[in-house]
Amino acid sequence: MRWVERPWFQGAACVVVLLALWEGASALGWLKPFQFPPPSRIAAASWEMVVAGFPTGTRIGQHALVTLQRIFTGFALATVVAIPLGLLIGRVPALDQLTLPIVTFARSVATLSLLPLALLWFGLGETSKVMLIAYACFWVMLTNAIAAAKYVDPVLIRAARTMDARGPALFFRVILPAATPRLLAGARVAIGIGFMVIVGAEMIATVAGLGALIMEARTFYRTDVSIVGMIALGVLGFAFTAGLGWLERVLLPWHRGLAEVRR
Amino acid sequence: MHARTAPVEARPKIAVCGVTKRYGAAVLNGLDLEVAENEFVTLVGRSGCGKTTLLNIIAGLVEATAGEVLVDGVAVTGPGRGKGVVFQAQALFPWLTAIRNIEFGARSRGLDAAACRAEAEQLLALVGLAGYGDRYPSQLSGGMQQRVAIARALAQDPQILLMDEPFGALDEITRIEMQDELLRVWSTRRKTVLFVTHSITEALVLSDRVVVMGGGGIVGEYPLDAPRPRSRADPRLAALHERIWEHLR
Repeated sequence: MRWVERPWFQGAACVVVLLALWEGASALGWLKPFQFPPPSRIAAASWEMVVAGFPTGTRIGQHALVTLQRIFTGFALATVVAIPLGLLIGRVPALDQLTLPIVTFARSVATLSLLPLALLWFGLGETSKVMLIAYACFWVMLTNAIAAAKYVDPVLIRAARTMDARGPALFFRVILPAATPRLLAGARVAIGIGFMVIVGAEMIATVAGLGALIMEARTFYRTDVSIVGMIALGVLGFAFTAGLGWLERVLLPWHRGLAEVRR
Repeated sequence: MHARTAPVEARPKIAVCGVTKRYGAAVLNGLDLEVAENEFVTLVGRSGCGKTTLLNIIAGLVEATAGEVLVDGVAVTGPGRGKGVVFQAQALFPWLTAIRNIEFGARSRGLDAAACRAEAEQLLALVGLAGYGDRYPSQLSGGMQQRVAIARALAQDPQILLMDEPFGALDEITRIEMQDELLRVWSTRRKTVLFVTHSITEALVLSDRVVVMGGGGIVGEYPLDAPRPRSRADPRLAALHERIWEHLR
């Protein structure tokens, strides 16, 4: 196959053509640079973010680090509570019925609508941002953990019981491994939601973080810098989704393609 | 548990005494059945006649509404390693390789890791899968999966082996191969077997006695003393097939 026919080449060519059109439209004055900064301006702003930063001194890496810290602290807090709790609820039908209305309601509440309350309860500092992420991740992880424990194939549990596995052995050797694919899928969704919620959570009372960068740059009419922030979030989100996919293949070598076979 | 009061032959390996099971309507109605030590008994009957329910009650996985089951004279109160079960399909742990699935069974005997591995290797070879130990169930064919399932049940060294349509999901050719395999394995590791099947031919090829179920009870019993391996074209089997078929209709 000639390289011109390769899919990656065609995909890349498509992007290059679009960027060239965009740049050209800008140069001809069809697009206002403030609303649609041309690719050359975005490239320049990217370089500026790497060497000088915005506000001056806060470079892109620092913004990213602050954002990642908030997302992971929130995600970790949510996961540590949601996984054991969800697995318990999923294995006890009475608990499942009892908590179903609360869970359904709480996960339907748009996380960012809690921003005012979060500021009131946890102040303007880091805590309110981390707690918002934790809230968003918690319900996703919880519902996935409940489903993971609930839908363990009953025949596997029966088989284990005929081999004298009961109590903690049944949990650690059968229920937990059977639940793992769904827990990892939940983690993937939760991280994705974390990346969405963080932008809103960083809109208030901070100048550090990619969400803050995006908002702050806008108020200074630096649309190009806002777009750099957006791109950085996209790249990080993409990297983490890919990373979790890799982790899944390493942790669950048995699971490849099994999901489609089973249910 | 030593049989001091009675000679072993006098006591059945499995004794089902007046077992009734209701799920709303009665599925089993005061059923009695005895299976002797090392006997291979098949249960045949229409779908929904209670074959699988009976097997699950003997396994201790389902509780009887009335009556009781004795294995070696001891009442069954729950599932456990004395009662090995081979399920219809997909009951292997998908996150464990073939060898580790078999070790799971061996571990219930309280063997240490090395002994578990040795036993599992031996059983894997016995079911004709030497060299496939590192495969996950999803990487094995349906027939191979059921070989592993049989090895896993044997690894727990059960008093009795209960098989619930273990070849029901397999294609005809694999199914016939597996019947021969099972008899070969059974001849080296002799167990008392209760085997549920839809297939009269399968029952005739495998068992010492075919038990026909219907209406929540046993409606007929057909002992066979033809030596194994049996030819599927044997006229005696064909005649018996005809009689059982008449009985089921």
